[in-house]
Amino acid sequence: MFHFVQRRRPHTTAYICPLATGERNVEEQIAELTAQIAALQGSSATTNRMFAETFYYLTIPLMIIIHAGFLAYEMGSSRLKNVLSSGVKNLLAFAFMIPTFYFFGWWIYWGFPTGLTFSEGPAGISGAAYASSIALGWGDAAQYMGPNIADQASGVFFGAFALFAATTASIMSGAVIERIQTVGFIILAVVLGSFAWVVAAAWGWHADGWLVTKFGVHDFGAAGLVHAVAGFFALGVLINLGPRIGKFNADGSANHIPGHNMPLTVVGLMLIIVGFWGFLMACVIVPGEAWSWFGDKASTIYGTPITLSSLSFNILMAVAGGIIGAWLFTRDPFWMMSGALAGIISTASGLDIYFPALAFIIAFSAGIILKPCADWLERRGIDDAVGAVTVHGTIGLYGVVMLGIWGSGFPALQGAAGDVPTINFMGQIVGAVVFFLLGFVPGYVVSYILKMFGMLRIRKGAELAGMDLVKVPAAGYPEWGADAPVTPAE
Amino acid sequence: MFPYGEASWSVVDGAMFMGWGGALPGMATFIAAVICVAVLVIGQRSETEKAKKFDK
Repeated sequence: MFHFVQRRRPHTTAYICPLATGERNVEEQIAELTAQIAALQGSSATTNRMFAETFYYLTIPLMIIIHAGFLAYEMGSSRLKNVLSSGVKNLLAFAFMIPTFYFFGWWIYWGFPTGLTFSEGPAGISGAAYASSIALGWGDAAQYMGPNIADQASGVFFGAFALFAATTASIMSGAVIERIQTVGFIILAVVLGSFAWVVAAAWGWHADGWLVTKFGVHDFGAAGLVHAVAGFFALGVLINLGPRIGKFNADGSANHIPGHNMPLTVVGLMLIIVGFWGFLMACVIVPGEAWSWFGDKASTIYGTPITLSSLSFNILMAVAGGIIGAWLFTRDPFWMMSGALAGIISTASGLDIYFPALAFIIAFSAGIILKPCADWLERRGIDDAVGAVTVHGTIGLYGVVMLGIWGSGFPALQGAAGDVPTINFMGQIVGAVVFFLLGFVPGYVVSYILKMFGMLRIRKGAELAGMDLVKVPAAGYPEWGADAPVTPAE
Repeated sequence: MFPYGEASWSVVDGAMFMGWGGALPGMATFIAAVICVAVLVIGQRSETEKAKKFDK
């Protein structure tokens, strides 16, 4: 009997109600599949979120390599008596940039895009109210300015932007070596890195930026809003700072003041090139996140498509073009590596859309004009110790304008702003003028004020003696000096 | 200092730093800013004094 029941029951059940059983099976299978899909979606979302966070996290140490490069570059370009003070200045610029960008620079980026109205833009991610809700170190906004289990984006975005800020300060830092006061320099660095370039970024490197929505300005790799702003800020400072003692003769002719270590300078420049891969990588918006432009493809900060392959093609060709162009007439490794930088900067605005051979040609032309532009500046009494005004300022604007010539007609922005101008020559000119002014005016005005208060230039006696003696209780190369240590055996 | 009522990570769904929801973040931010300014003031004074020794 028992066996009978056991044998009959499945059969009977299936026989009596086949549809009910089938429906239940299908329902169970659908429920199971739904759960599996949800689990897969959750897993995929977690993976994407971790990828996005890691992507930007890794740009930060890469960009710190830029600073290692600037450190070596500046110290190598300094004479022996100033080598450590140049390094100290560079380190302090970095150190002060991070907290000041935290205190107010990040707020400016989100608060300023629509101009001085501080109103919300079409994309809804700008204006004073928005900035105050996400970018202050107190009140409710502080939840996005510190550890937050539900926010894996704010910190890495802040980090990447803070490193952009520090880069601007380092650009200016090289130009003013061997005669600037430390604190005066730090104040200038903060004005540049946590204010001037941030305003430029808000206006020209943000989906709600008025230069973008009104004029179609496109500056993917920040040729204008980082390099030109920093370069012309440095020019404004140099006018008030004056040349190093001995740079110019009474008849106005210039003397070359060589740094103490050309190999260190050249390696430093190569490190800057390495770091720029991180810098440009950080200009890419990864897909698939709530804040992404697209679910399935990367974009620029303007929401226009880009791939890392585009960057690889064009950065490499630009570096090569810049080196070759600079070598043609200078044969000098300093200018060749500066040419590499100029190659990247001259194409940075359109690295997302240039054809690689065109990027090479533009970079080659930048490498050629580099040294003549620097000489032109020097003939006007400007002592730019490392050519920063030319490499970053002049070539930065050259890059912005070049995109206006070659990239006209490409959509400048894709997104909530609706109809916006395409990339156009006049728009890029407007952008170039604004970037120039955002750099030069604050640099000139603040350095002028510092000069009035005696905080800009080191005293003459100290400059002649060497700034390491004044500022640093250590020697860069102790065995080379008169106070060289001797071993006990001697 | 744990910013949630129950001392368990299972209740944390947002900010998880010390002082969240209170005055600590604002005070710390203010003090950090003051430190930066004070260091600049001290640095300026000491560097100026040192540089004057090289005047002839």
